Amino acid sequence: MSLRRQPSEERLLAYAAGTLSPPEAVVVATHLTLRPETRAWTALGHAIGGALLEDLEPLALDGGASEAVLARLDASAPPVVETAAPKGADASLPAPLRHFPLGPWRWLGPGVHVRDVLGPRDGDCRVILLRIAPGQCTPRHTHGGVELTCVISGAYATEDGVFSPGDFEEADANVTHQPRVVSAEPCLCVAALDGQIVLPGRLGRLLRPFVRL
Amino acid sequence: MTAPRDFNACIARIAAQQDREAFAALFDYYAPRVKALLVRSGSPPSAAEELAQETLLTVWRKAHLFDQGRASAAAWIFTIARNLRIDSLRRADRAVYAEDFAPEAEDPPQPDAILNGAQEAERVRAAMRTLNPDQAQAIEMAFFHEQTHTQISDALGVPLGTIKARIRFGMMKLRAIIERETGGVA
Repeated sequence: MSLRRQPSEERLLAYAAGTLSPPEAVVVATHLTLRPETRAWTALGHAIGGALLEDLEPLALDGGASEAVLARLDASAPPVVETAAPKGADASLPAPLRHFPLGPWRWLGPGVHVRDVLGPRDGDCRVILLRIAPGQCTPRHTHGGVELTCVISGAYATEDGVFSPGDFEEADANVTHQPRVVSAEPCLCVAALDGQIVLPGRLGRLLRPFVRL
Repeated sequence: MTAPRDFNACIARIAAQQDREAFAALFDYYAPRVKALLVRSGSPPSAAEELAQETLLTVWRKAHLFDQGRASAAAWIFTIARNLRIDSLRRADRAVYAEDFAPEAEDPPQPDAILNGAQEAERVRAAMRTLNPDQAQAIEMAFFHEQTHTQISDALGVPLGTIKARIRFGMMKLRAIIERETGGVA
């Protein structure tokens, strides 16, 4: 499954239904922007939603609702929602990421920088951008929770193979991995991170007070 | 059930000539269904009532963005209702969802095998009837009650992996059936 480098069908269905957590939805939306062919699955999800809608037992609206709405048709539409990028956003990122201000880049280790995508949160789960220099690895780590990653530019390789722009990876507590950047340019990724990244071993314990991902 | 009317054509008529009669037909049919959907998703009835009205008002205002080749009326209205619900919850990702509803600037490869005009909803419903009951139930629960896969797993007393597999195989089967029927190639 993970070899297909796209979100699982059940995750895409949850995205279509609107039930993914905000951080997960942001990473899936980034993948959908870079890999429009995956939209066939979310379109199927919308079609299923439509079919379920058709089959629902209708629930009558309040009396006069129809007339009230018809009377509102000629009223001017509400102003279009402000679509200007917020201060601190980066217009060079894929569209879904342009809606959020970004925190400052922070050093995480040799050649590894991280910054927060501010806004989408779900408990401990949040969105980060990770920038890793060519040839560098993130420290070998396991995950406190599920981690969803989508490559924006550059490429990295893990035990599972190479991940290129648009590729999507899911890792959970059972996965220990050490992505190494294999592109000539730095690798930029967006990730939804649930819980802390746990760096195993003595170096990990040593770094823990300093490295809060 | 009444025979499905051509609601796609209704939306097209709203877009072309602001046809109020077409709107009234859409409203009478879909508003009560959207309200039912939102109540099942956990909205209080008064909020569901308001969002159902807003959903149909949005259909009126955005009818020009409706593309029959891309989605059926039902799928499109579902997507609008979903977005308004996420909006009403003031979720941080609401701007992200709003995007997959905007007109496609750079046209992606069309999943035309899946999205094919007015008969789509009926085709998807027919395909859903061929799923085994466990698969259909898991997919429906993923849509209603705002349920995550973990909550579905708890509610049914079935392991999480099993729930995910049911949804996954159900989705794959639906896509295969729909593509075979429409002669589309994945």
